[in-house]
Parts: sequence; C-alpha cells; structure tokens
Amino acid sequence: MPPSTDLLQGTLDLLILKTLALEPAHGWGIAQRIQQVSNHILQIGQGSLYPALHRLEYKGWIQAEWGASENNRRARFYSLTRAGKKQLSTELANWDRLTGAIDLVLERV
Amino acid sequence: MISEWLSRLRFLLKGKPGLEVDEELQFHLERQTQANMAAGLSSGEARRQAAIAFGGLERAREQCLEQRPAWFLEPLLRDLRYGVRGLRRNPGFATVAILTLALAIGANTTVFSLLDQALLRALPVSDPSQLVVLSFAGASPGHTRSDGGDRPGHRYYFSYPMYLALRDQSTVCNGLIASASVTVGVIWSNHAETVPAELVTGNYFQTLGVRPRLGRLLVAGDETSEGSNPVAVLSFDYWKTHLSESPVVGKTLLVNGTPFTIVGVASPGFQSMVWGHVPDLYVPLTMQHIVIPEWTLLRDQQFYWLNLVGRLRTNGTPAQAATALNPLFHSLRAAEFTFLPDQSAKARGEFVSDSHLNVDAGAQGFSPLREDVRMPLTIIMGMLVLVVGMAIVNVASLLLVRAAGRGREFALRYALGATNGQVFRQLLAEGMLLGVGGVGIGLILAPQVLRVLIRWTAQRSSHSVFVPTLDWRVLWFTIAATLLASLLFSLAPAVQFWNPRLTEALKRPADARTGGTLRFGRTCARLQIGFSLLLIVAAGLFVRTIQNLRNVNAGFETDHLLAFNLAPGLAGYAPSQIAPVEQRALEAIAILPGVRAVGATNDPDLADNNVIGGVVVAGYTPKPDEEFDVEVPWVSDGYLQALRIPLLAGRYFAAADSATAQKVAIVNESLARHFFGSVPAALGHHISRPNRPVTDAVIVGVVGDARHTTVRDPAIPTSYTLFAQAERPCALTFYVRTWQAPATSAHTIGAAIANIDSKLMVSDLSTMNDEIDGSMLAERTIALLSTIFGILATLLAGIGLYGILAYWTVQRTREIGIRMALGAERRTVIGGIVREAMMLAGSAIAVAVPLAMLASQALRSQLYGVSTSDAGVYGTGIMIIGLLAVLAGYIPARRAAAVDPAHALRTD
Repeated sequence: MPPSTDLLQGTLDLLILKTLALEPAHGWGIAQRIQQVSNHILQIGQGSLYPALHRLEYKGWIQAEWGASENNRRARFYSLTRAGKKQLSTELANWDRLTGAIDLVLERV
Repeated sequence: MISEWLSRLRFLLKGKPGLEVDEELQFHLERQTQANMAAGLSSGEARRQAAIAFGGLERAREQCLEQRPAWFLEPLLRDLRYGVRGLRRNPGFATVAILTLALAIGANTTVFSLLDQALLRALPVSDPSQLVVLSFAGASPGHTRSDGGDRPGHRYYFSYPMYLALRDQSTVCNGLIASASVTVGVIWSNHAETVPAELVTGNYFQTLGVRPRLGRLLVAGDETSEGSNPVAVLSFDYWKTHLSESPVVGKTLLVNGTPFTIVGVASPGFQSMVWGHVPDLYVPLTMQHIVIPEWTLLRDQQFYWLNLVGRLRTNGTPAQAATALNPLFHSLRAAEFTFLPDQSAKARGEFVSDSHLNVDAGAQGFSPLREDVRMPLTIIMGMLVLVVGMAIVNVASLLLVRAAGRGREFALRYALGATNGQVFRQLLAEGMLLGVGGVGIGLILAPQVLRVLIRWTAQRSSHSVFVPTLDWRVLWFTIAATLLASLLFSLAPAVQFWNPRLTEALKRPADARTGGTLRFGRTCARLQIGFSLLLIVAAGLFVRTIQNLRNVNAGFETDHLLAFNLAPGLAGYAPSQIAPVEQRALEAIAILPGVRAVGATNDPDLADNNVIGGVVVAGYTPKPDEEFDVEVPWVSDGYLQALRIPLLAGRYFAAADSATAQKVAIVNESLARHFFGSVPAALGHHISRPNRPVTDAVIVGVVGDARHTTVRDPAIPTSYTLFAQAERPCALTFYVRTWQAPATSAHTIGAAIANIDSKLMVSDLSTMNDEIDGSMLAERTIALLSTIFGILATLLAGIGLYGILAYWTVQRTREIGIRMALGAERRTVIGGIVREAMMLAGSAIAVAVPLAMLASQALRSQLYGVSTSDAGVYGTGIMIIGLLAVLAGYIPARRAAAVDPAHALRTD
C-alpha cells in the first residue's frame, strides 16, 4: 500500500481511524471528539466527514452498524475492522516519518 | 489490498440503500441542533446554526453516494435519460444529426466493402500468401484468347504445352495450376441454358486448398489425355440455385451436348483463382475440344489462352521461383522459336532473348476485372470521403451552434452545484446518444444499400463477383470513428463552459454571441459549401459524360436493333454442321413479320470485344517496323446492311458470295486510307492474314468507319470477311433490325430458332441501346452515385448554412430592432443578411473552384467529351450554391425583419 500523498485527505482518514481505535462512534461523535481533543483547532467539515466515512467503509477499514445513540435515537456507529487497524498503524508510521522529516528540515534550515 | 477488493465486491453485490445516508445525515443535524439547544439557543436558531455548520446537505449526500465503487452506472443512466430529454426538446436537430451519422456509416461501410472485395481481399483459399501469378515479357505471335488484363511486359496468357513443361520440369512450385474461362451450354433435366464455366487443370482444387462440399473435386487423374475426362465439378451457388441442393454426385449433365458426370460440388464462397470469374461448373482442361469446339488448343504452342498460378514452397519467395524458372522458360521459348515462320534475328530477339518469365505475389489472384473497377471504385470512395467529411462537419457545427445557445443553461447548472465532471458527463451522454442512434440506423441501412448496389452492378446477369457481406473490420472501424467523432464534438462545448464566471454568464442575454462559435460555424459552412461544390461538379462532369456517350455517332444506327447470341457448338452441333444451321437461322429470322433486316458476326459490336490480327495486302510494302493490327470480324452477307454501315465504294456482300465462290472482303475507310491512300483505290486488291494463304480475299467494297469496341473508343481499321467463307465454324452474335419496338420481336425470334432445333439456345437477348448502356455501367454508376452525393451534399450544406445564419440573425435580433426603429427598411435588413450569406458562399466558391479543377484531373480517364474545366458544369454548380445561399439567408432574414422593433429591443 503506497503512502497517501494527499496530506489533507490522508490526515482526515488518519484522524478518523485513530478516533475509532478507541471506541465505535457515530459521525457526529467523531467530529465532536476530534474537535474537543484538538482544543477546537481542528474543525471537521461535515461535508467532507461523511464522504470520508463512506470511503473508508467501502475500503473495508471501518464497518458500520445501526445502534441506539446516547439520546436514544437510531444512529450509524462506525468501528475499526482488522484491516483498519493495520491501516492505522501504517498511516501512523507514515505520519511519524513525515513529521520527523519536516522537523529535520525545520531544525536545520 | 485484497480485503479492500472483497469489501468492494460485497458492496457491489449488496448495495447500500441511499435512504441510509439520508437518515445518517439527518441524525447528524438533529444531534447538532440538540447540542446547540443545550448550549442555550432557541430551537429555531439551533436548527439554523446546525444547518449552516453542516453546509450543503444535498451535496454531502451526493458525495457519500459517489464513494461507492460502482458509482458510475447510476448517474450514467440518469445522464442518458436527461440526454434523451434534451434531444427530444430539439427533435429537428437530433434527427438531422442522427441521420447524417447513419448515412456516413451506411455509405462508407458499403462502398468500402466493395472496394475491399475488389482490390484488397485475398482469394478465399488456404494460405493465399503462398500463391504467385505467372506472366511473361516477350513476343506472342499466333493467337491469344484473352479476357484482357495484359500490360506492357506482363502477358498473362500461356499455351498448354508451355504450362505442362513449366509444371512437370520444375519443382520450385508446390503446384502450378492453369485455368481459362468459357461459356458452355448445359442441359440438366431437359432445361437448356448457357452458363459461365472454367476449364481447369487436375491439380487446380488441390493446389488452391479448396474442399468439396459434396462428393470429390477434380484430381490429377482427371487430366489424363485429350477427351477422356468427361467429369465436372459444380460451384456451390449453381448447385444451390439451379439444382436445389439435390444429391447430384454420379448424375450426368450435358455440356455442349456431351454427357459429363458430376463428381462433386465445391465449398461455398469459392469462385475461381481469377477474381471476376464466377463459373457455375469446372471441367478438366483435357475436355477443351468439347467446351471450346471451334478450336484445337491443347497441342498448339502458339495459342495463348491459359492463366497460370503457382503455389510457392514453404519459405520460398517469388524472386527465388523466378530465378529457378527462367532458364527453363528460355530453353522452352528457344525450342518453340524453331517452329515459327519468321526466323530473322530480330524476331529471335523479341521471342527468345528479350523474353522473361515474371513471378509475382498473387494472394488476390490475377484479375482483368480488378483493373476495370479500380478507378471507378476509387472515385466513388473519394467522393464518399467528401460526403462523410461533410456529414461530420455538419454534425459538429450543429452541436456547436446548439451548445452556444445553451450558455445560460450550463451557467445555471454550475450555479446549482454541478461540477465540471457532471457537466462533462452530461455532454458526453448526449454525444453518445447521437452516435449510438446513428450507428444503429447505419447498421440497419448498410446491408440493404450493399444489396441494392450489387444488384445494380450485376443488372444484366445473375452472376455478381461481389458478395453481399459487409466487411466487419470496416464496420467496426467506422462505428468507432463515428462514436469518437460525435463524442469529441459533443465535448467541445464543455471547453467553452469550463469554469465560467457564473454571474457574468447568467447576466448575459441568452443569445449572447460567442465569437469563437460563430467563427467555427462560418468555417464549417464554408467547408460544406466547398465540399458540395466539388461533388456537384463531379456529378455534372459524369452526367455530361453519359450524355455525350449516348449521343456518340457509332457509325451505324443503334435504334430498333436487337442483339442475341447463338452458339450451335454449345448445343452439341458438330463443327461441319454449325455454319449451315446458322445460315438457316438467318433465313428464318429474315422472313419474320416486323423484321427489316438481320445480320450476324463472330465479333459483337460495342461489347468490349475484339478480334484483332495483322493483315497482308498484296502489293503493299510495309514500312520498317510497321505494326498495323486490324479488326477481322467474320460476318454474314446481310450484316453491314442490317447495321446500316454506309457503303462508300464498291458493293455490299451478296448471297452469291457463297462458301465455294471467290473469297471476298469489305474494308472500312480507315483501312482503305492506310493501305491504299483513298477509298476507291482499295477495290480489287487482295487481302489475307499473315501465313494463312487460305484466307486470301479480294476487296469488293469499302464502308464507313463504325465504332466497335465500345462507344468511347474510336473506330479501328477493319476488314470484314464472310463467316460462310471462313476456315472454321464460329459462334455468332445476331443483329435484327425491326420495324416496331425491338422487345416485341424477342418472342417471335426465340420461337423461330426453337422451330429449327429446340436444343439451340438464344442467349443474352437485348436491344443494342441496352447493350450500350450496359457497357457504360461504370460511368453510369459513378454518375448516379455522384448525383445522389451531390444532392445530399447540397442539402447538408444548405442545412449547415441555414443553421449558422439563423444563429447569427437571432443573435442580432436586438441590433436589427434598433436599426428598424431608426428607420431601416425591411428590404435593407433582409438584403443585408442575404448579402452576408452570399459573401460566405462566394468566399467558399472562390477556394473550391480551383480545387475542383485540380481534383477533377483525377477523373479524366473516366470522362468523355467534357473538359475538366467545363464552363457549363461549373456555372451550374455555382448557380445552385448561389440559390442555396440566397434561400438559406432569406428565411432567417425574413423572420428577423418581421420582428416588431419594440419587441426586439425588449428581448432580455
């Protein structure tokens, strides 16, 4: 699997996978969590969140199930698949490599 | 990776209902609203904030659905539905575009299929690339029995002894075969008819690799010795159409009155090693004396009548074969030379030293017909390319004009959130619909057109060399090209609308001019006018050619003249009985009611047929190297009178010039002038064929020159002698001059001949004028097709010109309104637009006329009596185009001028 070169898209995928690695969540929950954890720096546009979720689902990295939400409504809960876990570690490694490389450049120059 | 594909597959099979996405997104909005309310907003404001934060709900939904791996099918269907609706809104445009494309496909595929069959396709035999065609350079004194096809340095006809020697004394070929085309009389279950046949060698089928459909084909054992192989193989088509596919093997049919045993039927599709021969049956060469009763050819070294084809050994090349065969060929020629009368060194040089055997690659087989059809087919194909080019330009300009009027539609769609990709797909779908529609109709059309064309080319006989099967490679190519072209042109507008400045486009009036479109449209219109002028000129030149050919003074009267063939030899008459029965037939016809005169010849007139040879005139010393070949027909004593060839001096033949009387000849004016300087001087001189003293005849008359080969060819010097005084019998063509319409006499003539002997077969009965028309088939076909193409092209050009002018005037409606409000007269307005049309046409004509003059040079060989820069033809063409331009300009101009100025000013 070649590393994703599209930084933005790759980053969103990484954030979603990482968030889902903790526990299954529905779309709104994922957006909220990323927002909270990043101290409101990362605002996930819903317009790109849901297409990304569906894309990851089609790729087989996450799977969806209907369940009851915290307010007792029917919601679609996403969880990580085995392939997704593997993909997460690959993407994390890529991320480390990338930020490490950027750090190096920033320190030297 | 694999899991990804598995997951895709799962979704592809199971799908995911679109409703789920709706519910999911709805949940998100509700949850956000709830959160906002929890943060203290009113319920309405909370909902509003949630919606703003979410952005375009519909777009997010679309994008979610598009993530699906197999997303493209659904939108495609939607695009197609939308495309159909779009085209239905504009049915005129869609119809013209689809029909234009259909025409392009149908016509192109049809004509190219014929071209391919005639010029490109290999013979339907096994491994045709190994075949070679033999020909030779060098003198060929003696007789040649030829279907034509010879060219300088390449004589394609050989003697049987030469064939045998080349076949048996060399091993360089893996089989050497020979054939000659003949016409035979066949009697099968009491039904007599003349059919084309082929004399072939025993190894013919085996060498070509043709398989039997039934029974067996000929083998080497069927070519043993003269007269001992009365067997025949039928062609598949003959067996199917005439013998109703019955089990015929072992049965007997009569060929020229002699029983032949049918041994088998050839496989379907195979006709002959010579493209253009369509024999019904194949007979061993050794049966020549039955099949061609008037000649004895098998042992004659000086009779050239066989086409030779060889099969190379594996890995052999034609050059190797030529090197190997030439020493043998030279020694055979040297041996042959010792028997020739002229033993001079010069004759020896021409016959032996300068002779050479050519071995040429021959996958397509030898074919005199191919050379005849090459030029007409190429011309038709060339004209067709013009028409197809026009068709494509037409569709392109229609699409562009249409797209230009859709600027606002597309701007609106962009504004509603359409992406470039969606607009692109939409246009693609429309283009594809046009293309598929055109291909569909073209596919239905093409086989019909092909059948009609083939029937037309074979109108006078049931045997066409062309088979009515379309060439699939060509069909696929045309379909692909058409689809590609329609897609490309339908995408062109996409470039125009790519990322438009939306607000500007929306504000712009619906008919705002886009300079590029107009320019392109004008170029298209000019191209179309140019193309149609080219085609009109071609049509004009050929129509004039036909007129000229029909009006040629042939030197005899062609009206009220009926022609038919009678060959007693084909009905089994012995040689000594042939001339007497022919004489009886002449007498029987002469006394029929309605018949004014009857004559016969062994050398039919205006049938592209020649009997040519040298003559010796007593007392005339030829100039050095003089070669003066003359036409030497054998005729009946009433022939010249029946044809009404005028007598210039002396007398016509008379009944008194019988077989036993002094032999007499009548020469034509050209011959008299060549040998004797003047017409009267010819009388009383003796004329004979070289080395045949028995042919010596005294000239008793001189007649006017008459055209003989075809109406195109000038008259040939001719020496007529009597068939009754000839050395051997011959088949005759009868000419009957009638009082009433010739066709009405046909029945009584048939009855009169049957009355003499029911076995006698009257064949190819037709009027002289029909024969002449038949001999102009190529010219007439081109004239007909070019006229159709010309009309079509003019229509297309008219539509194109009208389209662009209509577009242009609609754009200027407001300007016209202002001008009329300021006092311009309607006439001035209309005049202005018509002038614009004329200018457009004029500039196109100015370029097209010199081009047409240049292009028509290529047609020169097919034209007759008309210059390639004929003022009448060009004038007519320019006039038609001018009229067209006026009409195409006047209609939209009148509409524009009829608009109320106040209304025009308010548009948009």
